[in-house]
Amino acid sequence: MANYFNTLPLREQLEQLAKCRFMHLDEFTEGVEALKGKKMVVIGCGAQGLNQGLNLRDSGLDVSYALREAAITEKRQSWKNATENGFTVGTYEQLIPSADVVLNLTPDKQHTAVVNAVMPMMKLGACLSYSHGFNIVEEGMQVRDDLTVIMVAPKCPGSEVRAEYVRGFGVPTLIAVHEDNDPQGEGLALAKAYAVGTGGHKAGVLMSSFIAEVKSDLMGEQTILCGMLQTGSLLCFDKMIEEGVEAGYASKLIQFGWETVTEALKYGGVTNMLDRLSNPAKIKAYDLSEELKVIMRPLYNKHQDDIMNGTFSRVMMEDWANDDVNLLGWRAETAETAFEKTPAGDVEISEQEYFDHGILMVAMVKAGVELAFETMTAAGIIADSAYYESLHETPLIANTIARKKLYEMNATISDTAEYGCYLYNHACLPLLAGFMRDIKTDVIGRGLELDDTGVDNARLIEVNTALRAHPVEAIGSELRGYMADMKKIV
Amino acid sequence: MRIVVENLNVDFEQRFQLNNINWTIEDQHHWVITGTNGAGKSALAAALAGAGDRLSGQILGLPERIGVVSFEAQEELIDKERKKDDADIMDVISEGTPVRDIIFSDCLDPDTAQQLVTLFGLDYLLARAFRKLSTGESRKVMIIRALSCKPQLLLLDEPFDGLDATTMGMLQNHLERLVERIPIIMVCNRFDEIPDFVTHIAYMQAGELTMQVERQDQDAYDNLYQLLHLKTTDLTIPKAEAETAIAKLPANQPLVKLTDLTIKYDEFKLIDQLNWTIQPNQHWQLSGPNGSGKTAILSIITGDHPQCYTNDILVFGFQRGNGESIWQIKQFIGYVSTALQWEYRVQISLRNVIISGFHDSIGLYTKATDRQKQIADQWLALLGMNDRADAPFQKLSFGDQRLLLIARAMVKHPPLLILDEPCLGLDDMNRQLVLALIEKICASSETSVIYVNHHAEDKIIGIEHFLSLEKNQT
Repeated sequence: MANYFNTLPLREQLEQLAKCRFMHLDEFTEGVEALKGKKMVVIGCGAQGLNQGLNLRDSGLDVSYALREAAITEKRQSWKNATENGFTVGTYEQLIPSADVVLNLTPDKQHTAVVNAVMPMMKLGACLSYSHGFNIVEEGMQVRDDLTVIMVAPKCPGSEVRAEYVRGFGVPTLIAVHEDNDPQGEGLALAKAYAVGTGGHKAGVLMSSFIAEVKSDLMGEQTILCGMLQTGSLLCFDKMIEEGVEAGYASKLIQFGWETVTEALKYGGVTNMLDRLSNPAKIKAYDLSEELKVIMRPLYNKHQDDIMNGTFSRVMMEDWANDDVNLLGWRAETAETAFEKTPAGDVEISEQEYFDHGILMVAMVKAGVELAFETMTAAGIIADSAYYESLHETPLIANTIARKKLYEMNATISDTAEYGCYLYNHACLPLLAGFMRDIKTDVIGRGLELDDTGVDNARLIEVNTALRAHPVEAIGSELRGYMADMKKIV
Repeated sequence: MRIVVENLNVDFEQRFQLNNINWTIEDQHHWVITGTNGAGKSALAAALAGAGDRLSGQILGLPERIGVVSFEAQEELIDKERKKDDADIMDVISEGTPVRDIIFSDCLDPDTAQQLVTLFGLDYLLARAFRKLSTGESRKVMIIRALSCKPQLLLLDEPFDGLDATTMGMLQNHLERLVERIPIIMVCNRFDEIPDFVTHIAYMQAGELTMQVERQDQDAYDNLYQLLHLKTTDLTIPKAEAETAIAKLPANQPLVKLTDLTIKYDEFKLIDQLNWTIQPNQHWQLSGPNGSGKTAILSIITGDHPQCYTNDILVFGFQRGNGESIWQIKQFIGYVSTALQWEYRVQISLRNVIISGFHDSIGLYTKATDRQKQIADQWLALLGMNDRADAPFQKLSFGDQRLLLIARAMVKHPPLLILDEPCLGLDDMNRQLVLALIEKICASSETSVIYVNHHAEDKIIGIEHFLSLEKNQT
């Protein structure tokens, strides 16, 4: 199989990368009609598979689960999940031939094997659905000409997909149609109906392409989302220890600091995150982030280039073929870092203190978000996608670190994201060594501790203007506006 | 032991304040704190346990180990378990902490704990995940935890709520044996539940401790009782909205018909071949001990239980599992329960909570019509909350939240109203109000009521059909 993206002419690559449109509620008036009475068969009964299936069934659709024979005979967890919830469960042979839609909700790594197994059994003109486009775009999976290929990707963990549906709402969802596989022109109608079935239409649906989803998702997750937070955690912790900050305090400041500062990011973008700082601290954070952006820009460019030309996926798949030797080795290394091994201390840190004592962390988030956004848009990814895959998702990963620290964060994100995260981290740590030498506890660990918090007006205006003028802020406020409209009508 | 509270002022996240509390708890005295919903009963108990920000004043003589039972503590523990649930990020279904660990890890007095586990008949639940317990079962676990920490003081906020009559009797007996050694302070909404060992009653009003009455003093005791029995007058239920009115169902078709209903987990059958038909305009009372499957049956009817797809269920003309959506089912049902109250954790105003009843949603995601707002305001007036229409729901007291959720359930005048222990956690006065409200609803001919309750004395005039469940432990 060859990298699909690389087989396309530049014109089409650019066209596909630029696809991303926020769909309005009135585009979903047909509800689940396109899927009514059709047989939907889910492969994979983890949190996404189970919860999406529950929603689809509660929306009046016919859902069953195809598992491998061994999973059924050994009554594995996936079998239990499906049967306890009253679903019909069968082998591929029993269910796939009569399926109208096959929902592949297994992890990336299994896609090739799963699709190769089910494709020959699928009936003429059926639909194959993905929740991530890696298999199609990077592995170049060739799907039978008569089959329709779509993607429906709720942008939240499986349990939230269910919880929001039960409340009468949904989670933001990305949909796409693989244009090479849309023989009957029904791909969009099926994807829309699927999004309605999971409740996604109420929270906002993005119409994207397989290519835009893969190339922006990979870039976001390996740089700002996981990579920057991992590198930042390690550097900030080691610096605080070196400067004599109490270890438990340092550990807690980092573990929960990312979550706290990115919560501000979620509500009001980079501007609001920096507005949470005092004026002198804001100027400090701004200057640090500008410095960081200059140092790290070549690294962001390299990641984006490797993703675009297929180097990243090729190298990672070599590791898949080599029993994940690199991945597992790097995962083990993460467990041995000082930050990971120091539990958070039993100290009270107020919400504001996370900002005041974490100026460098704020600067790192700002630098990472802006760089990822700038690099993506420079590579032809449309601003909407770039926003979602950088700023929008950072709080989700920060939340995972707050709950599980780095080792578990890495073990719980997809293997693809984790692999990219380590690549970033290994390159970024030495890159920032010189920068970190000049860092003191005024920007990480203790705060500025100024008697006089006065600043120069002209400089403050300059910084505020620069913050607000960044293109991620413009698209961010527009998209957050849509989401807020949908979320809260008061 | 002697506990002295002096000029105490405590702030609870700026949503409630205790003012100027002066109170002495002498050795061998056992108190009940009472008052209307939102008066500060639970707040006073919580303040003794260390909650809230102390603005001024002091508490002297507080012992080191305090056993606490309260809805808040229970909710906190359930919430903690929910947060521990890694299902979302691990892509696996997590089981949660088993009851055994919740009770016995860090337990100072495992002998007592084991004794109570046996007494309450919880042995068979020890291996089950704590968050999978029913409300009543998890409450029993909380009680065991409080009693087995070698407490020097017991703070029991509504300890009997959610317990069936047998368990309640056993708990009363157990407490009776402790009173010699340990002072007990209880928050109790129901006068008829005040145990014999209680010697004093404290009456809270608007954050102040306004009355302290010795139980021996019969006149003062009677006055207090009467005060709590004050009822609002003139109950009229606002009409539904004409535009979104629910389609009329045929009068000769049952609302609900469950045929050989069986609910099972692994090999354990919670419900075994139950048949139940609810005809239009019939009112039912559903009763049974904790863990007998009452809530499970109700969630089969509402479509929230996944096994509704594997049973023969006819609801409102839909044979389940034939392409209907749960929203088509839910439009015919109004629903109130403690679990719903715990699930209702969104930022929303009181008015919008009521309006969300038109959409069967938790939170409001659709624009409200002017008529809907009007109807919501009529309900708020009925509940005496019209001056707080835009206040946040989360800041209401537990009892006021319950009243509001009943209004939410009734706002669309559903053919079926399900009230799963609607009086749980309510004070005497609000309980009377709720019961009167339910009686009104029963008397109107359009809505059928399923009423679930442990308390035999909470009878509703107009309920003429009864379904009593046995506990299936096979």
